[in-house]
Amino acid sequence: MLAHQAAMESPWVEAEMVEAMEFFELSDRYGVSGVPHTVINNGAGNIIGAVPEEKLVAELKRVLSKEK
Amino acid sequence: MTQSLLNDEINRQIVDVFKNLSKPVAILFFGKQEDCEYCADTQRLLEEICQLSDLLHLSVFDLESDADLAQQYKVDKAPSTVLAALDDDQITDLGIRFAGIPAGSEFTSLINSLIMISNRDSGLSQASRDFLKAITQPVFLQVFVTPT
Repeated sequence: MLAHQAAMESPWVEAEMVEAMEFFELSDRYGVSGVPHTVINNGAGNIIGAVPEEKLVAELKRVLSKEK
Repeated sequence: MTQSLLNDEINRQIVDVFKNLSKPVAILFFGKQEDCEYCADTQRLLEEICQLSDLLHLSVFDLESDADLAQQYKVDKAPSTVLAALDDDQITDLGIRFAGIPAGSEFTSLINSLIMISNRDSGLSQASRDFLKAITQPVFLQVFVTPT
């Protein structure tokens, strides 16, 4: 899984795969409907669906520059 | 004797892909005693998977009685499974976790992540690696999936 691959490359990155139905309150909090749904930094960014690594990198760049 | 969770066919497929394992992997399972519908099954599933390779080492913990350890690994839900690199009894936390029973598509991700960690190689492109290695801010990715 892409998020896990990213976590492997950096001690700053953590990636948790969450079963949406068991943790439905958490899914609700982030408005998860379609899966996979990647929530970045508690909602600072979102990616719906499975995407290539370039897309994850682009969204991380956007989120991290916003949070600087 | 209770029936195993993995059928013979899946066992065979896993044994086959586990030929790709090279270095040891630590699997830390965190369960809890009450209100955890899938804890027992998750633990059993991990036990069955670990039996299929000597390179996989499972430790079982409790979210409450092992609260300090849970906090160390950033685990706050049960069942949770942490996958980490294991080198000469030294565990390296890579920030890789699963929350919930790893069934359905999560199961494939579990197997793939085990192999990735065992080979100590993310498999990402050089450009992605360069970007990630340069990060100096916390990044928390939560990927919501369903078992279907």
